[in-house]
Amino acid sequence: MFNFTTLTGGKPHPEVPALAEQFRGGQIDRREFLRTVAWLGVTAASAAAFAGVAPGAALAEEPKMGGVLRIAVAVQEITDPALVSWVEGSNLLRNVVEFLTKVDADNITHPFLAKSWEPSEDLKVWTFQLQPNVKWSNGDAFTTEDVVFNIKRWTDANSKSSNKSSFAAITSVDVKDTLTFSITLNRAILSIPEMFYAYTCPILHRDFDKVGAPWPKNPVGTGPYALAEYGVGQKAIFKRREGYWGKKPYLDEVRYIDLGSEISAHIAALAAGQVDFIARITANDIELVKKLPKVQLLTAHAASTVCIRMQTDQKPFDDIRVRRAVLLAADNAQMVKLAYRDLGVVGENHHVAPFQPEYFKLPAVARDVAGAKALLAEAGYKDGIDLTLVLGNTQGRWEQDTAQVLQQNCAEAGIRVKLNVLPATEYWPIWNKAPFALTFWVHRPLAVMTLDLAYRSTAAWNEAHFKSPEFDAALDKAMAIVDPKQRALAMQAVEKIVQDAAIMVQPFWADKFTAASTRVQGLRLHPSDYHDLTTVHLA
Amino acid sequence: MTRYAAIKLAEALAVMLAVSFLVYLVLEANARDVAVKVLGQFSTEPQRDLWLAENGYNQPFIVRYLRWLWNFVRGDWGVSSHYREPVAVMLPPRLLRTGILAGLALLVMVPASFVLGILAGMREGTRTDRAISFASVVTTSVPEFASAVFLSAIFVFWLGWLPGASTTPGFAWEEVVLPVLVLALYATGYLARITRASMAEVMMQPYVRTALMKGASPARIVFRHALRNALVAPITVIMLQIPWLLSGVIVVEVYFAYKGFGTLLYEASLNGDVALIEACAMVSVLVIVVTQLASDVLYTLLNPRISFARRPDGAA
Repeated sequence: MFNFTTLTGGKPHPEVPALAEQFRGGQIDRREFLRTVAWLGVTAASAAAFAGVAPGAALAEEPKMGGVLRIAVAVQEITDPALVSWVEGSNLLRNVVEFLTKVDADNITHPFLAKSWEPSEDLKVWTFQLQPNVKWSNGDAFTTEDVVFNIKRWTDANSKSSNKSSFAAITSVDVKDTLTFSITLNRAILSIPEMFYAYTCPILHRDFDKVGAPWPKNPVGTGPYALAEYGVGQKAIFKRREGYWGKKPYLDEVRYIDLGSEISAHIAALAAGQVDFIARITANDIELVKKLPKVQLLTAHAASTVCIRMQTDQKPFDDIRVRRAVLLAADNAQMVKLAYRDLGVVGENHHVAPFQPEYFKLPAVARDVAGAKALLAEAGYKDGIDLTLVLGNTQGRWEQDTAQVLQQNCAEAGIRVKLNVLPATEYWPIWNKAPFALTFWVHRPLAVMTLDLAYRSTAAWNEAHFKSPEFDAALDKAMAIVDPKQRALAMQAVEKIVQDAAIMVQPFWADKFTAASTRVQGLRLHPSDYHDLTTVHLA
Repeated sequence: MTRYAAIKLAEALAVMLAVSFLVYLVLEANARDVAVKVLGQFSTEPQRDLWLAENGYNQPFIVRYLRWLWNFVRGDWGVSSHYREPVAVMLPPRLLRTGILAGLALLVMVPASFVLGILAGMREGTRTDRAISFASVVTTSVPEFASAVFLSAIFVFWLGWLPGASTTPGFAWEEVVLPVLVLALYATGYLARITRASMAEVMMQPYVRTALMKGASPARIVFRHALRNALVAPITVIMLQIPWLLSGVIVVEVYFAYKGFGTLLYEASLNGDVALIEACAMVSVLVIVVTQLASDVLYTLLNPRISFARRPDGAA
């Protein structure tokens, strides 16, 4: 191991060895490595010595301007950006339209179209200051009028956008001047800035509805690129435009090519140099990608997971001893190892990820097969129990592999699990109806956002039928604390209630990976799959 | 002849009607599932109820089926829930692309297999026959998904000669080389075996021996006397290959991201895109029915002994 020296002379930050490993593996480039370890307090000289460059040389190396980036992605019809139901679609829009805030790959929220924001003490009134000098591509100035138009549109009684329920707490939007506005909520929500970066929240021009949908016919935006061509199922082309308010991006053109849903075709196209970046690969493709010359593997931790949840009001899961027995029999570490090639982080059955800002580390619960058996016997199942687990492989075959490992784990404790594997499209109609089922949950920057959606007594997506007033109160308390570190302390109770209630086996956090040509630099994989191409340049 | 054609046509229509009913039954019997497929899994119950009411799903199944059938006949094939485009607009270019791919595959496959089959069948048991038969069995026993992987491992990943996927929206010769090769490789061997068997059988016929004894040249025997009779079986197989090429190309099209009918049907099934699956299924049935009619017609042209509707009283 290389010895890094730090500015303070102490031990380097624990992330430094991991970054060094990523740099060695080609997952981050030299510039990124040097910049990041510098933030973490490593001296420039020692970082440069590790990276094999003379001090200063790397920093002098300015990214090259120009070039065309070709991305393999599904190009579907976009009617209204506020109704986009697929993340890839929002990535196309992202070149043209922008958001009030930006959440980076480390789940940190940054200013974007909003220069700053300030919540009231009770978190019920949020005042936003907009970036001055922002111009729309049609020449109009960007003002609070645009923002109010969008928020009103999302929360309107006739709105079909998923933003309607996300922002249901908004009671009024008040304009102070052309660059200042505030929103008033009927309850405290601390994740408002993060929520403005949801992929359905791009800010459209105030006259969007005058021309109306579909978006490709009306692509006015504040972003650095302009839409040049849009063909559903074919391609989308974006060209850099003049007069962008922010830092000029490096790429001249971004071209999206639809290659269908078969990932092997995407990898073949990448290997043959027909595309530079593919939107997504699976754990099974990693070995191949690693072997390809001129291709880099990008990875990121993400708070996306599967919840193998049990409905607390359905037999036999209404008996907490049965649920506890399943949790004790489950070997979460083995599931990530066998079903996901160890490319993830072990879960702790409470749906808060160690890399989310508010995570609180609870004492580890060891696997206990004998304990599981004892609990089952106590619950009246001396000869074991038969359960049926429903799943739909909605994200791929690894969901079934995970269930099979659980099946083996449970067999040791006398729990005979039968798997009922449905096609993905058959699974979604019943995802919250089956008593025992495996559901995939996407990444959200804050754990409380997921908990609020999935485990609150009144939550629409409460698939485990979990009803606990203590949990609701503990969550409310945590959600009203702004400082992530302070919030983590309040999360102890929240995590503990969920874990103790034994409502689900939440085996692991599935990493994200994708592949790009080594020409592509400055690209970081975002846990929500949001692409930020403004930092990308070609070698 | 007219009567025969009318009967065949009526049969074809009956088959299509039966298939349309089955397709509709499987996909749309449960209206609520359709609403989930169209609106997505995260839609709320009121949204689904509204959609069902708006789209007439609260009516009895048979009424819905008849309305759907009427719309389908009129050319209103609905809107794809995934692509948000009218199905009737999406299908023709996709069919054209698959037609090009299938046509090219046939263009490679038919001459190659006829030449190989005739060469092998002309002189049974010779070294040429053995070699061709062996190669045919090998290529036929490798399924397309395997040969697609082998061929792209060689030409894309190793040699780097050919592109690995179709990325041009139009048509590019270098991008169809591998798909056509995979399709042709699988079917050529099979067709060559059929041609060989048929050829070998014809070569044993007395009239071939007579021709030989008359002193006819081998070329004249093969082209003038044997070929026409030997082609009846291979033509049947080719006619069966056409529907296979249209729907069975799914594997090849998806593997090489070739945007044809196969990929469309595959994506539609993956996405639970009801209107699109229905239209694709109906197009497939249509193609099968039409090729069957065509093969019946071709038979009579090749073999005068088979004729349309020989009635006991001799009237046609």
